[in-house]
Amino acid sequence: MNGEAPMSLANKLQFQFMKDLGAPALMALNQAGKKKRAHKPNPDFGPPLKSAKRLKEIMSRHYFLARYARGARPVAWVTSGAPVELLRAFGFYTIYPENHGALCGAQKMGTKLCQAAEEHGYHPDLCSYARIDLGHHFTGLTPAGRLPKPDLLFASNNICQTVLYWYKALAHYWNVPFLLFDTPYNFRDITDSDISFMSAQLREMIPALERVSGQKFSMERFQEVVNLAHDTSALWGQVLATMSHRPAPMTIFDAFVHLAPVVSLRGLPVSQAYYQLLLAELQERVSKGIGAVTNENKRLMWDNIAIWYKVRDYAELFASKGMNFVAATYTNAWAETIHNLDPAQPFESMAKAYGLVILNNNLNHRLNLMEQMIKDYQVDGLVIHSARSCKPYSVGQYDMKRLLMERLNVPSVVIEADITDSRHYSEEQAQVRLEAFFEALES
Amino acid sequence: MDRQEYLRSQKEDKGRKVCGVFPAQYPKEILWALNLAPAEIWDPPVSPELAAGHLQPYICSVVRQGLELLLQGKAGVCDAFLFPHTCDSIQNLASVVNDYIGLDKPCHFFYHPKAPHGAAAKVYYQEQLKALARGLEPLAGPLREDELKRRVAQGQRVAELYGQLYGQRAAGRLACSNAGFYQAARRGEYLFPDDLVPYLEGFLQGAQGTAPAGPRVLLSGVLPNPPEILTLLDDLGATVAADDLLACSRRLLIPPSAANDPWQALTEQYFAMPPCSSKGSPFSERLDFILGQCHKSGATGVIFYLVKFCEPELFDVPILTEELKKRGLPCLTLDVELNQGLSGQMSTRVEAFLEMINS
Repeated sequence: MNGEAPMSLANKLQFQFMKDLGAPALMALNQAGKKKRAHKPNPDFGPPLKSAKRLKEIMSRHYFLARYARGARPVAWVTSGAPVELLRAFGFYTIYPENHGALCGAQKMGTKLCQAAEEHGYHPDLCSYARIDLGHHFTGLTPAGRLPKPDLLFASNNICQTVLYWYKALAHYWNVPFLLFDTPYNFRDITDSDISFMSAQLREMIPALERVSGQKFSMERFQEVVNLAHDTSALWGQVLATMSHRPAPMTIFDAFVHLAPVVSLRGLPVSQAYYQLLLAELQERVSKGIGAVTNENKRLMWDNIAIWYKVRDYAELFASKGMNFVAATYTNAWAETIHNLDPAQPFESMAKAYGLVILNNNLNHRLNLMEQMIKDYQVDGLVIHSARSCKPYSVGQYDMKRLLMERLNVPSVVIEADITDSRHYSEEQAQVRLEAFFEALES
Repeated sequence: MDRQEYLRSQKEDKGRKVCGVFPAQYPKEILWALNLAPAEIWDPPVSPELAAGHLQPYICSVVRQGLELLLQGKAGVCDAFLFPHTCDSIQNLASVVNDYIGLDKPCHFFYHPKAPHGAAAKVYYQEQLKALARGLEPLAGPLREDELKRRVAQGQRVAELYGQLYGQRAAGRLACSNAGFYQAARRGEYLFPDDLVPYLEGFLQGAQGTAPAGPRVLLSGVLPNPPEILTLLDDLGATVAADDLLACSRRLLIPPSAANDPWQALTEQYFAMPPCSSKGSPFSERLDFILGQCHKSGATGVIFYLVKFCEPELFDVPILTEELKKRGLPCLTLDVELNQGLSGQMSTRVEAFLEMINS
């Protein structure tokens, strides 16, 4: 017998109750608690984004309801680059272990969960998102209260091969089906053969998704979701584009947080509505000349995933020097290719959209993209996070640094660290490198 | 004749071009049919000098040594390079070499679908085979279908001989050292099949005998390097009775296809190969393979001999170890760097492990 949970009426009623009453009550309680804690404003930053409150509500509600999802809705654990639109058409409740890993990292639980996985034989050199997730599996620890066990695991190797090894392990432990959307790496240009292979895989998944979800596939519903995902990602692209203005109305550290809905809730109306709200606020800030950093005098770009346990420290450090991160290859990933989505050809267009993402493309593509972003966002310098966890993002960065200096004379610094395992971060080494970088920027 | 001399002679005497091939899975029959000599680049003995300027310290030594070979200009014999899609690090190495380093040799790439495989994967794999052939034709073409058919048959003969070699060893009827066995098995990384077939036939003939009576183990991992593990086991009277090495059994023990069409035969053979972490094979298949090899060969313990930072292997080991132990097979895990020998501590651990499985 496999580990899928049977749907029950009681679970469905409980889920609906929590959705209609429990979650709003929790939000209200959170707000009441929040009012009592006043933060002293940091003069290096402009006024905080008002939308952040709504973002917190959305994500808290998502994780809160997740506790009641098992047995009420089919639950899938999904990788950040997977074509979730197909699952949405079957009503899956989705959990993103990478998003959860980032949450653990930001709340400084990453190392503890990594160690739990290491105690079960997982090597400290392995991806820390994976170790956090496996650590959660072994201990149940999470800052989100409780995560529902999946009925299905859904991964795409368009971001790394690591997800294949990691989800394969989860599938073994939980005895649930594992679907892989295999995206051939674009050593050169994507081919018709690649697109046919990927779209055929999506079609092949439908019987398994019908079986796990208990729902028949509806092309109409699928096309609606694809349309919604397309529009949401386009809005996210517009959100990022506001940072091309001087001063930029938000920082990339804000974007690291505000990208959660486009990653985790893509294809749902709540995500689209959120970015409409955020975009309107950012456009207003642009029109009024309100910057995220008070005295923006240098504009920077970030390469790679965030160092989640250092986001706040880095935001404050750079802002204190009037430096604002206005672009990142990472946040751009959910805006770059989704314009390919076309409800009229949902399978083929999804193959293109997901097969062309930055980490599934050759390094020449990434270099050209970075060159373009440096020009579009008027970037003065580049901070490169060499992330021990993420080889596809990190291998090639040393050459990229050299080539960008040669081509555009843009100074850069490499910070050797990890996304969530703080044991791989040396404050002293980072300080020395950053001081040299600040000097280079000023010269 | 050493490897470099042999490859030079392929060019000078046989008029063949040489293609440097990075790990791991690729259809060598297509290269043979194009009269291209594949020279696999797994663990070249080069000292680390230049690769550190391109790769972070947390990248495995298979990738580092391979890049080092190119940067030091020691792969001059190669007319082109082929990068199969094995893992994230080799994927990005391929792109660094092709896009950033400015190598004046053509680079080719080969993507093989990852498991779990559906029907589309087989169609796609065959398309990839044909695309690779088309890509190599400007260098060494055109490809003749009858020649491909002949080389596929020759590949099946090679696989048959490797099957016999592994079978004889498993049955305890091979009187050669562990080091000698892998020296012979790994000749296939650069010998053209016209030379490899007679070599393996001769080796099989000459090595018939009785294996030592000491402990028997299965060696799992990427490749038998540092080779000191083999000499250590020889010194301790132990036999590697079977292996689950990416460079060896996972690529060499290929069940033959009966298909008449060579493209179909190559496709069927790829999907019938032993399971492998780099292909995403499920644990159940890997466990069945390892247990089957242990059963056939009488191996009573498993040594995971892992190249440091190798993600595909490191992810599989905890579950494999747990499941093998449940089934009464003790396991030992060693993390190594290529060409850097075995530490005294590792040697002691191997010795203690052998004592335990022999007791």
